[in-house]
Amino acid sequence: MEEKNLYPTICPYCSLGCGFFLEIKEGKIAGLSYMPGHPVNEGSLCPKGNASTEVLTHPDRLLHPLLKTENGWKEIGWEEALSLAAAKMGSTLKEYGPDALAFLGSAKCSNEENYLFQKIARLLGTNNVDNCARLCHASTLTGLGKSLGAGAMTNPLSDLENSDCIFVVGSNFAENHPVISRWILRAKERGAFVIVADPRRTPSTWLSDLFLRLRPGTDVALLNGMMHVIVSEGLQDREFIRKRTLGFERLEKILSEYAPEAASAITGVPAGDIIKAAREYAKANAAAILYSMGITQHISGTDNVIACSDLALICGQVGKKGAGIFPLRGQNNVQGACDMGALSEYFPGYGKVGDKEAAARLKKIWAAEKLSEKPGLTTAKMSEAAHAGKLKALYLLGEDPVNSHPDSLNVRKALEKLDFLVVQDIFMTDTAEYADLILPAAAWAEKEGSFTSTERRVQWVSRAIAPPGEAKADLEILQGFAEKLGLGLEYRDAGEVLAEISRAAPMYGGITKERLLQAYGVSWPCPESGHPGTPIMHTERFNTPDGLARLIPVEYRLPAESPEPAYPFLLTTGRTGLHYNGGSMSRRSSFLLEKEPELFVEINPSDAQTMKIEEGNNIILETRRGSTQAKARLTERVSRGVFFMPFHFSGTNMLTGDALDREAGIPEFKVSACRVRRV
Amino acid sequence: MKEVLIRPELCMGCRSCEIACAVEHSESKNLFAAVMEKPTPQKRIYVEYVPEYNAAIPMTCRHCEDAPCTTVCPTKALKQDEITRVVTHSTDLCIGCWTCSMVCNYGVIGRQKEARVAVKCNLCPDREIPACVEACPTNALVFLEVKKLSGVKRTEAALKLARGMQGKAL
Ligand code: SF4
Ligand code: SF4
Ligand code: SF4
Repeated sequence: MEEKNLYPTICPYCSLGCGFFLEIKEGKIAGLSYMPGHPVNEGSLCPKGNASTEVLTHPDRLLHPLLKTENGWKEIGWEEALSLAAAKMGSTLKEYGPDALAFLGSAKCSNEENYLFQKIARLLGTNNVDNCARLCHASTLTGLGKSLGAGAMTNPLSDLENSDCIFVVGSNFAENHPVISRWILRAKERGAFVIVADPRRTPSTWLSDLFLRLRPGTDVALLNGMMHVIVSEGLQDREFIRKRTLGFERLEKILSEYAPEAASAITGVPAGDIIKAAREYAKANAAAILYSMGITQHISGTDNVIACSDLALICGQVGKKGAGIFPLRGQNNVQGACDMGALSEYFPGYGKVGDKEAAARLKKIWAAEKLSEKPGLTTAKMSEAAHAGKLKALYLLGEDPVNSHPDSLNVRKALEKLDFLVVQDIFMTDTAEYADLILPAAAWAEKEGSFTSTERRVQWVSRAIAPPGEAKADLEILQGFAEKLGLGLEYRDAGEVLAEISRAAPMYGGITKERLLQAYGVSWPCPESGHPGTPIMHTERFNTPDGLARLIPVEYRLPAESPEPAYPFLLTTGRTGLHYNGGSMSRRSSFLLEKEPELFVEINPSDAQTMKIEEGNNIILETRRGSTQAKARLTERVSRGVFFMPFHFSGTNMLTGDALDREAGIPEFKVSACRVRRV
Repeated sequence: MKEVLIRPELCMGCRSCEIACAVEHSESKNLFAAVMEKPTPQKRIYVEYVPEYNAAIPMTCRHCEDAPCTTVCPTKALKQDEITRVVTHSTDLCIGCWTCSMVCNYGVIGRQKEARVAVKCNLCPDREIPACVEACPTNALVFLEVKKLSGVKRTEAALKLARGMQGKAL
């Protein structure tokens, strides 16, 4: 008799939180089946979701703790591994103080794991804890935090269906989060107008009614230009501005400099199109703004986010059905890792480090005497500190900075400088090669815990199968590590950790494992147990102390690098439909790899012609940081003077720069000056 | 008869349908194992990118009336059901002569290299809704009778018109 059991689960790739069932037969993965009732994806999955089970059974999975020796990797037992990790971190702490330690959390790990991870860091006396959100949406936290009081998506994804105008800026959702297209196309079927602003012609732009092809890094000029049109034509929502916002006068003043012609000169978008986009957005009954890393990954990332928010606010397009701001996160638990305080400047629930009240509450829950009041190192600063010899030991949870951080050659050097590096992961990543100790972790379906999707939906994942070999759930590993350090941290299971989270982070107040197990999760804020959750935020008041949103003027600034004679081209980076981030998962999927096997660079045919580059040629790209080889792909998708490379292969981030946004500390992945030659 | 109908204007070329189809036609119905299988499971739907128009168009068997592939197949490996019009293919009878693919107007009869047999859409007989249709995030693929699809399109067009008129009235 064929016995197949179905386990509901959540896709481990991007941040949408699509649901599906794992089919388990005799304790092994036997396939996946769709979950038509799921409110995000209604059953369908994108190629990555369809390929997600490949990760679980891959022969490259790490099976034992590994210790680096002179003769290569040696398998060791857990007892030895955890004692060693604790001993090394402990002695570093004693010798150099808590700030010589750092902890890099993971947007792939559950809320409970990230919570425990940052708790360990803070109990050891340091705020040197961060996660990869720093590289994709830190600017959303700071930008929307300032203007709306909460750096999160305002409405559920499916609510896009109710929008009459959808303005997409800096997001290639059709390839990166294909399931979103479902809702956007449904809105279109109802007659919605879709505007896509992107330097590149992508599948997302095919779906648009108006395509604004702007120069990389000129988003603020475009957004200010649109606002100029709105204000000068009197299309703003006066009542909303008066009742629910502060600061309109200051914003208005700055907008006068961004007449459509001026904005057009900066962005390269025809003035007429800026006017049309502004009118369509402002006149819609309900309009949505959707943005992603095209907005956030700039030195002006925070400004870009604020400009998006300003636009929405002056038109009154927040806090109602079909109207909102939709920042699309990258990984499955970026939102959760941030909510849990795996961030150098925030405690769980976004209490600021240094804020007495926030610290007092945590001290009570944790029974801790003292918490450091000084904000810790962000990911980028960790590299710097390692170079300077100030950072000695790093605990890395499911992160691959060698492939995913900018200026990767420099990252490699920083890792080499460390006295001790422990990496906890499911595969031997390029980063793990630098580790002194590797701890094999369980993948998402092999453990239990909650994950928070980009729309703030907290969902529970149950354990469907056992981890391979001796790999263990991250929570178990962290608990073992904490025990060796004498920190206690005894919890029976993830549910018990979640119970503590609901006390530490107010917006998780009413969220329990039992509730999450009942249908498709709960959207935070959910302050107490009877609360139904909050799919649409800011309906009555914003999360600011006085309940009013802030309109904040921002000015267009040049990117950190501009093309110049030595480096005449502009390189921008992004994703393709079939791969995912640093590629440690998707490049292990033969189905996905077959379709997109190697690093390529998109070049406009007329640029290629002047340089005598032909389709498929191997070419060398160089920036001030390094050089890399890639296959030329000639295409009109990019404009003249602009190159595009996907960042799923290790070559790309050798080129990107480490200039940072002042406030959020996010690096400018999207703009580098480069040059090119044939091999 | 219900068919896999394509609404090309909704396709964004994500290729979920191709993967779902290949997995559905694997021995194990599990992507990881499927990759290891010999012969390698193959898709029966093809998403073609048309650079000139910046568009991706999914193509699959139309189960044509009087399907030419069935009439030229020398061994009757390809057969058409008189009532449902579904064109099925029997690998046991197939001699890999490749004649069917020569006459298919849409180029959707593929070839299984290792086994040297033709491969084509069989409308997923084990499923209520074909794998590709269920996988498509945008509903660019639908499983409907032709008459129904026209109905769906009419409703959509009417809705758009109505909204346009409402806009004018306001
Ligand atoms: S859209 Fe994102 S969450 Fe959904 S299946 Fe694809 S990768 Fe997974
Ligand atoms: S109906 Fe089935 S066999 Fe035909 S293309 Fe779709 S998934 Fe493949
Ligand atoms: S799954 Fe749908 S949208 Fe994706 S390529 Fe296939 S038909 Fe197109």
